[in-house]
Amino acid sequence: MNATVAAQMTGADILKLRKKRGILIWANVLALAPLLVLFIVRAVLHSSSPSEHGPAGGTDGFTDAIRLLGLIFGPLAAILIGAEAGAGDHSAGVFRDLVITGRSRVALFASRIPAALLVMFSISLLGYAITIAGTYLFADSLPTPSFGLLLEGLGFVLLADGVICVVAVGFGSLTNSKAATITALIGWHLVASPLIASITYLGRSRDFILSQALVHFSPVRIGDRGANITMGGATAVLILVLWLGVFLALGAWRTRTMDA
Amino acid sequence: MTSSVDAAGPAIQTSGLTKRFGERAAIDSVDLQVPRGSAFGFLGPNGAGKTTMIRMLLGLTHASSGSMSVLGRPVPAQRAAALARVGAIVEEPRFHPQLSGRENLRIVAAVRGPETHARIDPALQRVGLSDRAEEKVKKYSLGMRQRLGVARCLLADPLLLILDEPTNGLDPGGIQEFREMIRAMVDQEGRTVFISSHLLDEVEKICDHAAIVDRGKIITQGAIAELAEGSTQHELIVGTDDMGRALEVVDSCPQAKQARAVEGNLHVVLDVGADNTAAECSAAINSALVEAGLAVFRLEPVRQSLEQRFLEVTSRLSDTPAEEVVA
Repeated sequence: MNATVAAQMTGADILKLRKKRGILIWANVLALAPLLVLFIVRAVLHSSSPSEHGPAGGTDGFTDAIRLLGLIFGPLAAILIGAEAGAGDHSAGVFRDLVITGRSRVALFASRIPAALLVMFSISLLGYAITIAGTYLFADSLPTPSFGLLLEGLGFVLLADGVICVVAVGFGSLTNSKAATITALIGWHLVASPLIASITYLGRSRDFILSQALVHFSPVRIGDRGANITMGGATAVLILVLWLGVFLALGAWRTRTMDA
Repeated sequence: MTSSVDAAGPAIQTSGLTKRFGERAAIDSVDLQVPRGSAFGFLGPNGAGKTTMIRMLLGLTHASSGSMSVLGRPVPAQRAAALARVGAIVEEPRFHPQLSGRENLRIVAAVRGPETHARIDPALQRVGLSDRAEEKVKKYSLGMRQRLGVARCLLADPLLLILDEPTNGLDPGGIQEFREMIRAMVDQEGRTVFISSHLLDEVEKICDHAAIVDRGKIITQGAIAELAEGSTQHELIVGTDDMGRALEVVDSCPQAKQARAVEGNLHVVLDVGADNTAAECSAAINSALVEAGLAVFRLEPVRQSLEQRFLEVTSRLSDTPAEEVVA
């Protein structure tokens, strides 16, 4: 398969995702609305009672927005996009029509990944634009992040949302069910992960929790705001690679071997 | 994707092809040959294994044993090359409902390769969907989806089309239109069309060749005319000036197995065997009637239909209670 075909297949997968209006709207709402609420509510509180409530923006606002976009609501959007990309063809019943073309099933699976990432990144970038705007617009007297920190923050958001999106593509391709993928991954992300991370009895085995490994790459201190475990950089990279490798392998295997 | 295919030999060939689901054989040692440039009917009752056979040919599911080739290429070993010039609709055609007809074709064209995009407009035109191509597929009727399914097949510029129950859900006008389109593809464009169906009439009207399948086994295959002629029952219509006497005469003829009056004529089932051909039996009955002083003004062999042949060879019918057969 040459680069032209690969690009066209990715373009086709992007087209499918773009035209899934419901999923796109929900993904945007999940990723962006909390940021708007964060900045607007805090700005209102600050303006009504400046002595009790600090400014909405500045480095504090930036930190909270990064946490929302990279660790909580951005990943929810990533799960929706990834599940649609991974299971959409099968759910619509068109997977067999793509297999009939004779194109390799692994190629069909692979083209879903860049498509999902590009669609997710467009949402992440929009969220990051809102983050920067809120950070500076409502900074008032607070210090603002440096340019370097802004770049690192962008890198972290793209990494966190991207990794979870790819995991969702793999999981969606494995289950071939959007509902099952969304339920399982959101349950894992919002409930199981924080719960397991808080059980100190489990010790170093908690290193394998994806969100805890992702926190390691955050340029802002998340600490008491959701990070329970500290780990070395090499361990964090290994955990990310492990999650990506396992779910990509499972998704590719299922796509290659299942009856279409 | 390569489009190199073997130009000679049958369009589809299988040998000992078997597909098992546990202990049950959905396809059982099937040897099939589909000649090129023909419309081939794969005829069988529901559950006979038709769709399973198609799914194996297209690499949608693996065979348990046996071998198969499509357009001269072994499948699954050279699946990509084999399917490069194959278009197929398996069961009902499915699409992304949120996309337009044209966008759905663009998806498949992207997967097939860059040269395929140029075929989108001609394919839409061919199936009469040019003016509805920008509408979302969820607004399409079943007939329009069937036509879009055919357009999707045409993107491959197919040497072989494999269509699974293609007229399901079509109204009589749509069925007629579909028949004409398939015949044109075979007669004018030299394509091979493989149609699975449980509708005898449909296969008889569209196809040149057919195979009858039941419970995963090929019962018989060949040209439609040969299949129909292969019926073991030979019937003769006799018109005379005295039906009552004619019935008595025919009943006493050893060449007549059974006779009954139908709408002013006698329908005689001939006792054809190793010693008597159908023509000899007919001549003997004619002689007996004439010798009895009856005026014979009609003597016509009944043309065997594929339906009669089908009913004879499919074992299912004999297992079915009589009231279901009548229904």
